[in-house]
Amino acid sequence: MIVRIDSLTFRYPNGTTALDGVSFSVEAGERVAILGANGAGKSTLARHLVGIERPASGTIEIDGRRTDGLGIAELARTVGFVFQNPDDQLHAASVVKEVGFGPRNLRFPPARRTELVESALRRTGLTELRDTHPHHLSLGERKRVALASVLAMDTPVVVLDEPTTGQDHASVVLLGNLVDDLATDGRTVLAITHDMDFCAEHFDRVIVLENGGISWDGPVAHWLAQVADMAGQTLELPQMTRLGRRLGWAGPVSTVAGFLERLASEADPAPVPSTAP
Amino acid sequence: MNAVRDTAHATGASGIHRLNPLTKLAFAVTVTVCAFAVVDYRWPLLLFGILLLPAAIGAGVLRRFLLMLTTFWVPVAVVLFVVQGFFLPGAHDVIAQLGPLKLKSEGVSFALLTALHILVLMSGFFLLLLTTHAGAFMSALSERKVSPSLIYIVSAALQIVPALSRRATRILHAQQARGQVIHGLRGRARALVPLMGPLILGAFTDVGERAAAMETRGFGATRHPTSLTAVPDSGVQRCLRAAMMLCAVAAVTVNVWGVVR
Amino acid sequence: MIEVKGFSFTYPTGSRPALSDVDFEVEPRELCAVVGGGGAGKSTLAGVVSGTVPHLTGGTAQGTVRVNGRDLDDTPLSGLVGEVGLVMQNPFNQISGARFSVREEIAFGLENLGVPRDEMAARVDLVLDDLGLTGVRDRSPYELSGGQQQLLAIGSVLVMRPTVMVLDEPTSQLDAAGNALVFEALGTLKEQGVTVLLIEHRMERLAHAADRVLVLDRGAIVAKGTPGEVLADERLEEWGVAPLRYTVAARRAAGRGLWPARKPLPVTLDAAAAGFGETVDHLDRGDWR
Repeated sequence: MIVRIDSLTFRYPNGTTALDGVSFSVEAGERVAILGANGAGKSTLARHLVGIERPASGTIEIDGRRTDGLGIAELARTVGFVFQNPDDQLHAASVVKEVGFGPRNLRFPPARRTELVESALRRTGLTELRDTHPHHLSLGERKRVALASVLAMDTPVVVLDEPTTGQDHASVVLLGNLVDDLATDGRTVLAITHDMDFCAEHFDRVIVLENGGISWDGPVAHWLAQVADMAGQTLELPQMTRLGRRLGWAGPVSTVAGFLERLASEADPAPVPSTAP
Repeated sequence: MNAVRDTAHATGASGIHRLNPLTKLAFAVTVTVCAFAVVDYRWPLLLFGILLLPAAIGAGVLRRFLLMLTTFWVPVAVVLFVVQGFFLPGAHDVIAQLGPLKLKSEGVSFALLTALHILVLMSGFFLLLLTTHAGAFMSALSERKVSPSLIYIVSAALQIVPALSRRATRILHAQQARGQVIHGLRGRARALVPLMGPLILGAFTDVGERAAAMETRGFGATRHPTSLTAVPDSGVQRCLRAAMMLCAVAAVTVNVWGVVR
Repeated sequence: MIEVKGFSFTYPTGSRPALSDVDFEVEPRELCAVVGGGGAGKSTLAGVVSGTVPHLTGGTAQGTVRVNGRDLDDTPLSGLVGEVGLVMQNPFNQISGARFSVREEIAFGLENLGVPRDEMAARVDLVLDDLGLTGVRDRSPYELSGGQQQLLAIGSVLVMRPTVMVLDEPTSQLDAAGNALVFEALGTLKEQGVTVLLIEHRMERLAHAADRVLVLDRGAIVAKGTPGEVLADERLEEWGVAPLRYTVAARRAAGRGLWPARKPLPVTLDAAAAGFGETVDHLDRGDWR
C-alpha cells in the first residue's frame, strides 16, 4: 500500500468539520479520481497527503511511513502535488530552471537531475519552450510547467488538483496520456477533478466525497453503473454513459471506444434482445 | 493576530454596536485627547476605569478587548518601562540597581504616564474596531462625502493585505511541496526568491486586472455614489459628537494655556 | 449589439498580432460563443468588446469595434459603464476589495452609479437568489471558495443589467450545479434582449446554449456558424478545440457504416441518441444496409 488513510478527521479553525472519518488505501500504480461537489472536502483531503494540513485525528501513512512527524519538504520526496494555480509557484527565469527547482531541493546528483528534468519537459511537451520565461507563457502552458516541475521530482505518488481546468484540448490529451504512462511506470496518481469524461477515460477507481465523508469508493465502471440511473445534479456523467443510458443499454459504457464496441456487438448477427427506446 | 483579523466583520447587537461609527470615532479621539491633556497618571487610569472598560463590558467584547490589549499594549508598556526607567536622560533619583543599570524614579513615572496614555488611545480605537463592521464605517465616511479613493485605499488595505498574506502562505506551501526547506537562517534566506517572485509578479498582474474591473464597474463614475448599507444616526448622536468635539478642544486649550502660564 | 469589422490588434510587447482581421456581429438576444486553443486570442477579444483593450492595455489597433452603435475608439471606458458588463477569467481580481460582504460587493457597481438604496437592495437580493448566493450574503468575498467567487463576479456584473455581456470562462471552477445556475441566468438575459459573448471550454454546454460559435486560431477567426456546423467540423482538433464525444463516436461509427447516412454528425445528447437509436432499430430489424 503506497497510501493508507485511517479515520481521518479534520476541522477548520472555525470549528466546521471538513473531513469526517475518511479511510481508504491506494496501491502503487493505481489511478484514483477524487470526485465531489464544491466544498465536499476534496482539496482538504489532498492537502493532507502533502502535509499542508494536519489531521485532528486519524492517521496517514505514505509508503509505509506515518506522516505525523514529517514536514512538507520531507514528504515531497514521496508525494508530488500539482497545485491548481501555477502562478503560486512559478518564480524562475526559465522553464528549465523552474522544472529543476524540485530535483535541486531534493539533492539528486547532477546527472540524475538533468535526466529527470529532460524527461519531464519531454513528457509535458515543453522541450521547445525550455528557455522561455514562464511569465511569457499562456495559462495552459504555465499549468504544464507546474506539472513538469512536480514530475521531475520522481515521486512515487503524484496528486493533481483540477488538472484539466483552464486547459485547452491539446493539453488535456497530453495530460490524459501522462496519467496513463505514470501508472504504467508503477507511479500512483490521485486527481481531484470535475471533468467526468477525463475521469472515465483515464482512471481506474473513483472516491466520491460528500459532506466530508466517502460516499463511494470503487472501480469507475461500478460507480457509473450505480449512479447511471440517478439524475446526477452535482456530478455530470460522462457523455457516453448518458448516451448509453438514453439507448436503454443495460450496464454503463463510459468511453467512445467502449461505446463503439458495444454498438458493434449489437450489429453482430447473434440474437440481441430488443433494447431500443 | 487572529484577534485582529476578524475585526473587519464585527457583528453584535449591543447598543454600542448600533451606534454610528463616527460617534465611536469621535469618542476614541476625544478620550485620547483628554487623556493626554492632564499630566497625572491617575487621570488616564480613571478614563480607562470609568469609560473604556465598562464600554467593552457593555458591548460584550471584553474578552477580545483584553486579548488585543495584551497583544499590543503590554509589549509597548514593557519596552517603555525598561527604556525610560533605566535610560531617561537627566534622571537622578535611583530607586533600584541591577548590576550596572540604575532604575530611576523619574523614568518610571514618565513610563507609567506614557503607557497609560497609550492604553487609553489603544482602548478607544480597539473598541471602535471591535464593535464596528468595516463596511458600515466606510459607508459612514462616504455619507460624509469623504473621497471615494481615500475610502478605497483604506478598505483595500484592510482586505487585500490579508488576502496577500494568504497567497504568501499558499506560495510557501507550494515551494515546500517541491522540497524546499525553510528552516534556519540560510533556509529562510534561500526561500525568499521563490516566495517573493510569484507574490510580486502576481500582485502586478492583479493590479492591472483589478483596475480594469473597477473601471467597468463604474468606480469614480459619479461624484455622488449611494451606499447599500444604511448607517444609523440620530439627533442625540449628532449632539453627542458635537459635545465630545467641544470637550476635546477644551482639553487641548486648558493644556496649552496651562503650559503657557 | 456587437459589430467588429476588420479588427487587428498587437500588444505593446507583442511580436505578432493577438488578433488579426477579426470580423463578426452579435445581435441582441443572441449568445455567441468563442472557442479556441490556449493563446488563440480569446481573452483579448473579450477585452476588445468590453472596451478595456486597447484603452487600458495600450498597443496598436486597426479596424472598428461598435457596441450598441457606438464606436469604441471614441468612447471612453466610463461611457460604457452599466451598458457593457465584463466577467473576467480570474474572479479574485474582479472583487473590488472595497466592500466587506458579498451583498455589498454585488452592490458596489450600483453604488458607483448612484442608484437609490431601495432599488439597489431589491436588485442585489434578486441576483443573490438567482445565483444561489443568499446563504453567504454576509460573508467576506475573500472567504468564499473559488467557485463561489466566480458566482459573485458574475452577480456583480449581472446586477448592473448591462445590455451587452462579455464572459471569459466564467464557470471554470464551478461544479455541475453552479454551472447550471449560470447558464440558466444567461438564458434569462438573452430573453431580456441582452447580447452575450461567451468564452467557454465546455463544449457540451455551448452546444445547447450558443446560437452561434466562433473559432479563433492564432488570432484569426477560422470558422463561424451554428454549434451544429462548427462543433462537428473535422478540423476542430487542429484548431485546438476538444470535439464532443458524441461527434467523435458518430464519426467513427459512420466509418463502419453504423451512423445514418443522411444525418449530420451530432453535437448534443439528443441528436446522438436519435441517430444511434435509428442505427440500433435497423440492426434489430435486420434491415441495415
